[in-house]
Amino acid sequence: MIKFYLLSVMLISNSIFSILEIEILKGSDNLSKIAFVPFGVEDGVEEDYGMQISQYIEKNMLLFGEFENLDKSEMLSFPSSENEFFYRDWKVLGVDYSVIGRVNSVNVLGNLNISYSLFNITRRIKILEGEIVGSEDNIENISKIISNRIYEQITGLRGIFDTKLAYVINSDTDTYQICISDIDGKNEQILFTSKAPIMSPDWSPDRKKIAYVSFENGLAEIFIQDLKSGKRESVQALGMTNSAPVWSPDGKSLALVVSFSGNPDVFLYSISNKRLIRLTNHYGIDTEPSWSPDSKKIIFTSDRSGSPQLYEINTKSKRKKRLTRDGNYNARGRYFPDGKSIFFVHGNDGNFQIARKKLSSRYIETLTSTSLDESPTISPNGNIIIYATKDGLNGYLGGITLDGKARFSLPVKNGSVREPAWSPLIN
Amino acid sequence: MRRLFMEPIGIFILAMLCQVYSCASNVSDSVERIQYASVAGEEYLQGDKLDTNLDDKVYFDFDKSTLDAEDKNLLEQYLPAIKKAKIVRLEGHCDERGTREYNLALGERRALEVRDFLVVKGVSGKKIRVVSFGEEKPLKSASNEKAWAENRRVEISLY
Repeated sequence: MIKFYLLSVMLISNSIFSILEIEILKGSDNLSKIAFVPFGVEDGVEEDYGMQISQYIEKNMLLFGEFENLDKSEMLSFPSSENEFFYRDWKVLGVDYSVIGRVNSVNVLGNLNISYSLFNITRRIKILEGEIVGSEDNIENISKIISNRIYEQITGLRGIFDTKLAYVINSDTDTYQICISDIDGKNEQILFTSKAPIMSPDWSPDRKKIAYVSFENGLAEIFIQDLKSGKRESVQALGMTNSAPVWSPDGKSLALVVSFSGNPDVFLYSISNKRLIRLTNHYGIDTEPSWSPDSKKIIFTSDRSGSPQLYEINTKSKRKKRLTRDGNYNARGRYFPDGKSIFFVHGNDGNFQIARKKLSSRYIETLTSTSLDESPTISPNGNIIIYATKDGLNGYLGGITLDGKARFSLPVKNGSVREPAWSPLIN
Repeated sequence: MRRLFMEPIGIFILAMLCQVYSCASNVSDSVERIQYASVAGEEYLQGDKLDTNLDDKVYFDFDKSTLDAEDKNLLEQYLPAIKKAKIVRLEGHCDERGTREYNLALGERRALEVRDFLVVKGVSGKKIRVVSFGEEKPLKSASNEKAWAENRRVEISLY
């Protein structure tokens, strides 16, 4: 058995087969403009590397429609060091930031030293410089690290270009797969393939495991899969039907739903000693738990008021608080990384859309405009939401930046994709 | 205290507490446990379904699990066939609208509503297997009222 699963983890598809690719649907008119100057190369270094690195960085920075670029054909100069850099060459082209860099050879083993600088053209200052040593096989990943630093310097938010996405693909009626890929859709890996439905993927905080629900034994059952070994372990929460697993911020437990004799309630499950602690106890449906970033509270959906609404419960005092009142369908809530707002699925006039609400306010703000939107997941920096939606018969993933500047989609080449789950950052 | 537990209500509370807090193994006999379906140990699925000549589905309104008069009438027609059956399998389903995990619970609620009706009519709960697939196995994949109405169902099969 284990051997088989090992094999299935090794099925890394080439990027040409990658299923998701981000398409920007709407960019804002007043985005910051960045010039990505091809990096200079030292004698003896493969000349293409300079162009490749700047293109990787450019692609990353433009990924979610948050910036616009300056076309290389418009550039007046191609500086690769500070003494070749003239602010006026960029000011005249309406550029806000310029990225330059240089690739130097470290040794004959193919190790490279890549130095980079970021200039703020309006303020006429260099705002970032750095260097990274790495292997030439690793240019793409090095470019992600540089992209993260540039993004952080410009936006003040954590860079997310080395994060991943988990999702469920239903390629035909009887084939369900759980997959992970880089956030740009590359390097897709199939974790598990089944003839029965798969649901609710969730990343462990250390990014080493994924918990999900599989119906392979005929009913909903939670599994934890180790990404490196491919080994799967069933969470036999008292042998009953169980669902909706979410990892605690410390990775030591899961919040999950167990249905004893037809009454789904939220429980905490300790992974080390396999003990269940009851959190909710109501004859209504209680499901879709998720932790607050400080681990003190759990948000969940309950129909105790007669329609699905969001509640939060303090895990120690068990004190509950109703969070939503407007509309007859507010479900599958998640906290923003700052813990001050929540996002969820809001039903309104037969449309199901992604919405957010500040905990301190009653106002619900709808973020999406299609009608079958569900399963929202937020980037670890709190700036982007990816969600599942449907066009005709096929499910695809949509995305929005929370500043309202950009919308994008991640279409699937065949079948339906759903239930995106954004990985945490690697710390 | 001793006298309280002699009262029927005391016994009921005790039974409920057993059901809610205890592990599956020591649930009080007076409370019938729900039998969940699973493939493991469910050999009945390998056998042939009994042919009843009855519609094998009951349908529900959006976000509802209540049975209407028509559904109850259909279920009553099942009763003679159920007497001969070894297993009654009830599969709850939802339409695609709303959230997946909530729908999983709602599908279970629907299957249990059918189960409870049959139990009230004298069917032994031990014969009944319930399972929910939520919105994961729609009959119709279109996104319109007609497809949604067909997808909000409990499928009944006898073995």
